Amino acid sequence: MYKKLLSHSAALAAMIATAFFTSSRSAHAVTWGADYFTNVPFTTQDGQTVHFFDDLLKGKRVFINFIYTSCGDSCPLETARLTQVKKILGDHMGKDIFFYSFTVDPDHDTPAELKKYAETFHTGPGWLFLTGKKKDLELVRKKLGQAATAGQNQVTDHSTSLMIGNEATGEWLRDSSMDNPQYIATIVRDWLAGAGRRETTGSYANAPPLPNYVADRGGYLFNNQCGACHTIGKGDGLGPDLLGVTKHRDAGWVSAFIAKPDQMLSKKDPVAMALYAKYKQVKMPNLRLTDQDVNAIVRYLESQTTASGPGR
Amino acid sequence: MSNIYLPWNASKRRLREAENARKNRLEIVKALSHGQVSRRELSKWGLLTAAGMIAPIGGLSPFVGTSRADSSSSIPTGAAPSPGLSGIEFTQPMLRLEVLKSSPAVCIEDPTGGPEMTVSSSRSNLTGADADRQSCQTKMNVDAALGGGTGPCEGRPPGEAWAHQHWDKFEPKVAYDVTTCGAKTNPNGNISFKFHPSLADQGPDAMWTFNGTMPPKLVLGRYGEPILFRHHNGLSPEVTKNGGFGRHTLSTHEHNGHHGAENDGFTGAFFYPGQYYDYHWPIVLAGFGSINADATDLKAGSPTDAGGINKVAGDWRETMSTHWFHDHMFSFTSQNVYKGCAAMFNIYSSLDRGAEDVNDGVNFRLPSGQASVTGKSWGNLDYDVNLMLADKAWDGHGQLYFDIFDFTGFLGDAMTVNGCYKPYFEVEPRQYRFRILNASVSRFFKVGLSDGSDIMQIGNDGNLLPNVVKLKELDEQGIAERYDIVIDFSRYKPGQKVWMVNLCEHRDGAKPNGDLKLSDALTPGKSNDPCVGKFLEFRIVPSKRPDQSVRVVDKMPLIPNPDLSNIPIARTRTFEFGKSSGSDRSPWTIKTDNGNGLSADFSRVSAMPRPGTREIWTLVNGGGGWDHPIHILFEEGQILARNGSLSNVPLAERGRKDVYRLRPGGSVTLTMQFREFSGMYMEHCHNTVHEDNAMLLRWEPGTGLVPLPTPNPSPQGVTYLGSTQIPNS
Repeated sequence: MYKKLLSHSAALAAMIATAFFTSSRSAHAVTWGADYFTNVPFTTQDGQTVHFFDDLLKGKRVFINFIYTSCGDSCPLETARLTQVKKILGDHMGKDIFFYSFTVDPDHDTPAELKKYAETFHTGPGWLFLTGKKKDLELVRKKLGQAATAGQNQVTDHSTSLMIGNEATGEWLRDSSMDNPQYIATIVRDWLAGAGRRETTGSYANAPPLPNYVADRGGYLFNNQCGACHTIGKGDGLGPDLLGVTKHRDAGWVSAFIAKPDQMLSKKDPVAMALYAKYKQVKMPNLRLTDQDVNAIVRYLESQTTASGPGR
Repeated sequence: MSNIYLPWNASKRRLREAENARKNRLEIVKALSHGQVSRRELSKWGLLTAAGMIAPIGGLSPFVGTSRADSSSSIPTGAAPSPGLSGIEFTQPMLRLEVLKSSPAVCIEDPTGGPEMTVSSSRSNLTGADADRQSCQTKMNVDAALGGGTGPCEGRPPGEAWAHQHWDKFEPKVAYDVTTCGAKTNPNGNISFKFHPSLADQGPDAMWTFNGTMPPKLVLGRYGEPILFRHHNGLSPEVTKNGGFGRHTLSTHEHNGHHGAENDGFTGAFFYPGQYYDYHWPIVLAGFGSINADATDLKAGSPTDAGGINKVAGDWRETMSTHWFHDHMFSFTSQNVYKGCAAMFNIYSSLDRGAEDVNDGVNFRLPSGQASVTGKSWGNLDYDVNLMLADKAWDGHGQLYFDIFDFTGFLGDAMTVNGCYKPYFEVEPRQYRFRILNASVSRFFKVGLSDGSDIMQIGNDGNLLPNVVKLKELDEQGIAERYDIVIDFSRYKPGQKVWMVNLCEHRDGAKPNGDLKLSDALTPGKSNDPCVGKFLEFRIVPSKRPDQSVRVVDKMPLIPNPDLSNIPIARTRTFEFGKSSGSDRSPWTIKTDNGNGLSADFSRVSAMPRPGTREIWTLVNGGGGWDHPIHILFEEGQILARNGSLSNVPLAERGRKDVYRLRPGGSVTLTMQFREFSGMYMEHCHNTVHEDNAMLLRWEPGTGLVPLPTPNPSPQGVTYLGSTQIPNS
């Protein structure tokens, strides 16, 4: 195959050389275009076939991350975080901004599994969950600079970077979906807007007030870690509303579950199992919190419950 | 991990394949677009996929490595070496940096007696509004490619929070009016934009520089002479006119000035094509508010045109000498600096005068030049030479090349000095000073001389050392570090040659693979890294006049470190750079005080030290597979320990620093104080690929209460995002 290819290439090169010989500067403008990304096919959570460049990238602003649905670690948190980004982006979703979550575990993640996952997280329009041939999935990771390095497990050691790009302008950058959703939304909506008119987010005087986390570690942790799925008194999200949770559940259980939810599930703790079933089998991730962090979160939950008056 | 070049000793067949792959892709695209081959033909040959794309196979894509190229036995590669390098080493003279011209600035006070002040330049081409303390928000039309409508002429955020700090106290005395734009021929000397006369002209999309010309630029400043640096963005409003990499928005960091953060190139305070940004560089000695405030010490001074000293306030032990300024655009710093958005900045003082024959008991008389010959009482460059080292690569058309999807770190295969591929430089048999800057993206250097003879290191980063350090070879030099050295060529005779040699070998952009012995670095074939070995040839020519500089000897005292013993240590902090713990986490983060690993979010404040205090910061490299040169902006630090012990700190690092190389698995403990200015400063890895979106955090010396709102620039005007902060910041 290789020899054959070379001979064709040589023939082609010779043919072109005799035809004309000019500089092809125009090629530079499309350095990160169709021929770089390729057009390999993938299958969506709805069973549709889509091509990487033509259908997913061409002319679009995109977020791309890599997940697997059986992940009990960072993937659910990433997905929950991106759900917050999606809410901020509003009508842009599915119009000019698209989210693509590629599985790194195609053996397990069939379109049906991906659909279940998407529904669990209320992902909505403009967000595709994609599977395909292993080599094509690896190619996409490699093209985006996210390939696993030698010695890494292709699935559990996958890169948790969030790739953000605007195909039309060739601007690509890497971020983390773990971070501030407002900031991530701003990157794609405003800074990668290309020729699109920027939306204004208010004057200096109207800049949002700063949450006072200086001495409030629990509040910081709740808002940056737990807040993607939970509220305190504002209703259920992906997980339960936690107003009063420190009153109506055993204190030891609350701390243990915040610290190691994955182990509680694997030990088939009855309360954990019931919650797992009730909240559409979203696995609460193990955030690797220290004992000190867990205590800070519990104290914060208590203080918020007290602040809102008689609890449930 | 991928690299961009094949080893020098790759088989001819392999080189041919790689070159063909790059060429074939371009030719196929071209042939298709010109209708000379049909899709059907390409498809029949197996060169086109059913979906119409060029097949992603080894022989066709420089980005898709062949299985052999991925083998670990040699430098992995996807692409051919930069073409045209064979046989041209040391055949072109090294260009000296081009000194940017300034003009006197006149300050006009606000007639209403308000805090505003306007700077007018005597130069007729200072276009746009005259400079004000606050950003100029006069509306102008915005190009349709940037969304149209109208927007402010200046990209600096409006209002008091981004007004120049201490503007009245340090009124601009000189103004620069400089434009960043695409590569073009320099009318001064008719210098075309080439890495070597036999190589291709760089197109305007390939390289972006100050004034768009070669060689790179140099600003000469002096204490007591504040600068207004008006930086115009002359890049195309079309963001795609970039040759495949680089972002047309700019933010310029003066590395490492004691300036207000509004003038320090905050990564989120970028400005658009058509706009300018007025940077106010006061050029002050840190401590001006508390030490030598009445300016009575001759050592704290600036050279006057008449050869005397203009005394200034501040701590003379904070005197700085060698800066550079470069783009700091969020997420695109690596691409923009690689494209040429970087220049050097020499600062002159009563101690470091740049006139070796001024013998007044204060001037160190370092090698530079002679006022009695040139008529210049400061800033002579005859024997004081800036060397900007950078590795570059170019494609089959000779145009600058970069892989935006290589997040390990980008390496070039062509060693350049001041933009010249492996040049030669004629030197007289006398002492020379070289201000060496590592202006690479990810590459470290280690510099020695080909005959193994002595090098005197006089400065590290911006600062002259407490004592001269005699070395046979310099320490590894991380990205953005500056090593100020003196070489005595009087040991050679006219006609002889000696070379500057790089001993530091890379296999990828994560960290140096190792340092070679001098004899190995000089032996072809010992290293696969094409940037190892000789890179600058010194040709000794007859002396023009006697050397009048001080004889620079080992341990000679220069500038002692500032005494911090009376400043209270307010607190300690730890910043860990690298892989967060756990297998399934983002590897690209900074952990503050053992908190979560966080990537770059410039709306988040990670530290708020209080003015008037000092702190001890420990920078930890979380892994052994990487090295990180960490830059902390604004104040100079003193290294207290490496891996917990002062004895691990080399003598050449015992002065003041602004970049701290952690070494794989290592840590650096330093102390810094916080004074006189505030605002949004940063701390980040200066391997700019690591920095972009990952290893960067924001800190603010302030009241410790409320961080500033975060700017969100657009061509139509700056708006603001809320800021967040980590607990206990």
